[in-house]
Amino acid sequence: MTSQSVYSEVMNVAEKLVPVVCPWCSVGCRFYAVSVNGYIRKVEFDYDHPTVNRGRLCPKGVAAYQFINSPDRLKKPLRRVGEKGEGKFEEISWEEAYRIIAEKIHEVKETYGPEALAFLGSEKITFEENYLVHKFSKAVGTNNLDFPGRYCQYSNSPARTKVFGSSAATNPFEDIAKAELVLIWGHNPAETAPVMFGQYLEKAVIDNDVEMIVIDPRSTRGHKYASLHLKPYPGTDLAIALAMLNVIIGEDLYDKEFVQERTAGFEELKEAVKNYTPEWAEKVAGVPAEDIRKIARLVASRRTAFLVNEGMNQHVNGFNLALAIADIVAITGNIGKEGVWSGIFPGAQCGFCAAMTGIAPNKLPTGKLVTDEAARAEVERLWGFPIPDWPGLDLTGMIREAGGRIRMMYIIGGNIAKSAPNSAWVREGLKKLDFLVVQDVFMTDTAKYADVVLPAAAWFEKTGTAISAERRVQRTYKAAEAPGEAKPDWLILVELAKELGLGEYFKYEHPDEILREINSVIPLFKGATPEYLAEHPEGCFFPCTEPGEGTKVLFRNGFKTSDGRAHLVAVDWMEPPETPDEEYPLWLTNFRLVGHWHTGTMTEESPSLQKRWPEEYVMINPADARRFNVRDGDLVKIETRRGEVITRAVVTDHIREGVIAMPWHWKVNFLTLEETHPVTKMAELKAVAARISRVEE
Amino acid sequence: MAKKIFLDYKRCIGCKACEVACEMTHGEARIKVFEFPDLFTVPFNCRHCEKAPCLNVCPSGALFRDDDGAVAFDPLKCIGCLMCAVACPFGVPKLDEDNKIMDKCDLCADRRADGLLPACVSACPTEALKYGEINEVLWNREGKIVANLKGSAERGEGEEAYLIL
Repeated sequence: MTSQSVYSEVMNVAEKLVPVVCPWCSVGCRFYAVSVNGYIRKVEFDYDHPTVNRGRLCPKGVAAYQFINSPDRLKKPLRRVGEKGEGKFEEISWEEAYRIIAEKIHEVKETYGPEALAFLGSEKITFEENYLVHKFSKAVGTNNLDFPGRYCQYSNSPARTKVFGSSAATNPFEDIAKAELVLIWGHNPAETAPVMFGQYLEKAVIDNDVEMIVIDPRSTRGHKYASLHLKPYPGTDLAIALAMLNVIIGEDLYDKEFVQERTAGFEELKEAVKNYTPEWAEKVAGVPAEDIRKIARLVASRRTAFLVNEGMNQHVNGFNLALAIADIVAITGNIGKEGVWSGIFPGAQCGFCAAMTGIAPNKLPTGKLVTDEAARAEVERLWGFPIPDWPGLDLTGMIREAGGRIRMMYIIGGNIAKSAPNSAWVREGLKKLDFLVVQDVFMTDTAKYADVVLPAAAWFEKTGTAISAERRVQRTYKAAEAPGEAKPDWLILVELAKELGLGEYFKYEHPDEILREINSVIPLFKGATPEYLAEHPEGCFFPCTEPGEGTKVLFRNGFKTSDGRAHLVAVDWMEPPETPDEEYPLWLTNFRLVGHWHTGTMTEESPSLQKRWPEEYVMINPADARRFNVRDGDLVKIETRRGEVITRAVVTDHIREGVIAMPWHWKVNFLTLEETHPVTKMAELKAVAARISRVEE
Repeated sequence: MAKKIFLDYKRCIGCKACEVACEMTHGEARIKVFEFPDLFTVPFNCRHCEKAPCLNVCPSGALFRDDDGAVAFDPLKCIGCLMCAVACPFGVPKLDEDNKIMDKCDLCADRRADGLLPACVSACPTEALKYGEINEVLWNREGKIVANLKGSAERGEGEEAYLIL
C-alpha cells in the first residue's frame, strides 16, 4: 500500500480522478484533476485514453491545478468604491449585483439605444458559455460583440476563409509527423505548444529525418533543429511570402494539375507577384535572396506542414501575409490530402469556442452574417427573439468609441488592459465608459476599471466543452467547487437574464442543456452531443455532423467556397504602419514564454511557474548593445511613441541585429500600436519602432 | 534488472515540465534542466548508479536499493550528514533544509508502487526522458540510430551519416 492510499484511507477522503481538458493552449491535452472533497490536490497524467497528448503535459499543464487554489481568487461580487483603476471595491450580494447591472443595461438602452452596449466573449471560457454570451448580447439587442481573439488569429482566419472558405486546421497533428518538410513561420511551438512539438513535430524532424525551416527574427530552443533559419525584420515577412510566390510561379514550380482543377484566380496572382523578386525582398526583409529561393523550391517540391502563427498574425499587414501564405499553400497543392498541415492555431484552449459560436460583431452563431436576412430569420426562429441587423464594432473599435458610441461594456474572461495594443490608451478608454462589468477569476488589471466585478468559477470548477487547434471537440468535467460565492459564467448569464426579464430564453440548469441547443443550432456540431463526448474522451473532429462522424482531413474533394475552388488572392506589398527611424531606430517585437500564458493572470498565481519564469526582460543583439551602450543585465528603458517600460537587458545572438524583443505577458502592450487593418481590424502588436537606453541604478 | 531514466537530451526543449512534475510530487524538484547560452538544454537527475558510491558511504542505512533497482532512501533513517553528496560524482543529493535530511530522486517510489511512471517521465512532452529496463531502452536507441544510418547511406549522404552518431 502506498503512502498516498494509506493517507486516503486514514483520512477517509474521497480522492477522485476527474477527466479534464487543459486550460491553457489549444493543443487540447487531457489529464485528470485529482479532486479531494471538491479541492484539487494535483494533476494525474491520462495514459488511459487515445488522447492528442498521449498522456504527456507541458509545465503549465502540470501546474494547472495551482492557480485554482490561489488565495487571491475572487469570491464575492464587488462594487467599485475608489477611482477607476485604483482597485478599491466593496463586497455586495449577487442579488444586488444583478439588480445594479440590469438597471444599468435598461438605462443605457433607454438613453442611447442597445447599440451603446458592448459584450466580450472569451477564449478562456467554455464553448457553451461563449454560445450564451452571444445569445445574451443579441437578446439585449446589440451586435457589438467580440473577444480578445481579435488580436490573435484574425489575420490568418479571415485570409483562409477568403481563400479556402474555412480557416481551421486542415489536418490532425499526426499528419505533421508524416510531412516531408516543416516550415515554422513566426511561431515557436516548442514554447507555445510543447506537447504538439514533442509528440508530432519532433517525430518528423528527429525520428523521420524531415527538414525543418524557420522564419523568425529570434532563435529559440525549438528552432535549433532547423537546417535553414531566415531572420527577417518583424512585419516584413510579407515581402518573403510575395517573393516565394514570385519564385514558385516564375520558375514554374507550382502544382499545375492542382492549380488547374482546384483553384481560381491564378493569372491575377501571377501578374500581381511578378515584380516581387527575392532581391527586392532581401532589401525589405533583410534576409538573403538565395535563402528565399531555396525555401520556395523546397515548399514546392515537398509535402509541407505550414506551422504559422502570431509572428504572422499580429501585424496590420498580417492579413496580406496570411493571404500570400494561403496562396503558396494552394498553388503548391499542399492541402486536401494526408501528410500536410496548415490552418489557424489559437493561443487559447477555447479560441475556437468563441470563433465557432460566432463571437464577432458581424456574425450569427451559425457563422453566417447578421446582415443576411434569411440567416437571421432562421436563428430568430430558433431563439424566439428579434436579432439586430446592423454590423457591430470590433474590440479596438469598442475601445476607440468608449464614452462615445459605446457607453457600457460587459467583459467576460478578458484582460484587455494588458492584452490590447497601447495599454495606456485602452485604460483611458475604460475610464470613459459609463459602466463596466468584468467577470473573471482574479482581480485583473481590467477588472480594476470595472464598476461591478463578478467572481467566476475557474476552468476545473465547471463542466463544458473545449475545441482544440486540430478541431477536436472535447468535454471537460467539474472537478472542484468554486471558492466563496463564485459561479460559472454560464450560470451568471442565466441569472442575469432572469433579472432582465429575458429568463424565458435562458432556461438552462446544466451545461449539457446548452450543448444540446448548440447541437441543434450550429450544424457543424450536430454530432458533438454530451452523450457522445462522455463516451469518447478523445472527442470528435468538427465538422462532426452526426455522433461518430468526424472530419480528420478537410478539403479532400472541394473547398468551402461558392464554387468549391480555392480563391487565390492577388496580394500586394503593404508597408507596416510604423518603421524604425532616427528617433526610434529599432524594431520591437514580442514573444511568449513556455511558463506563462497570456497576461499572466493565472500563471503568475501558479507558484511552480512564477518562480521559474519570474519577470520580463528585453533581448538585444550584441551589435545593438554596443551601439546603445547596453550591457547584459543592465536596467534599460524601452520607449515607443506610446509609452515606456523599464526592464533588464539580455544581450544575446538569439535576436537579429536591429530588433529587440520582449515577452508579452507583462507590460509590452504599453508600447504597441492601436492602428488596425481596414478589413480584419488586427492591430500592430508585433512590429513597432522603439529606442533603448540604459537607466542609472 | 535495473530500471532507469535515460536522458535522450537531444529531444529536450528545456520546457521544465519535468521539474514542475517533480515539484508537484515531492514538494521540491529533484530533477533540473540545465540551460546553456547556445539553446542546448539537458535535464539531469540521479543516475541510480549500479555501483552507487552514495549507498556505500551512507552511515545510517537510509539509502538502499529497491526492487526496481532505484537508489531509494528512508527519510526516517537519514541523519542529514550528506556523506552521500560527498561521494556522489554528480552532486545529486541535496539538503532538505526543512526536514534536516538529504533529498534526492527515488524514481518516484510511490508512483511506481501504484503502477505509474515517475512523474517527470509521465510529463515529458518530448520523450527526452525515457523510463524502463535500461538495456531495453538502449537497444531501442541503438536500433533507431542504425536505421537512421541506413536511411542516410541509402540517400547517398555518405560520411555525413556518421555525424548523427
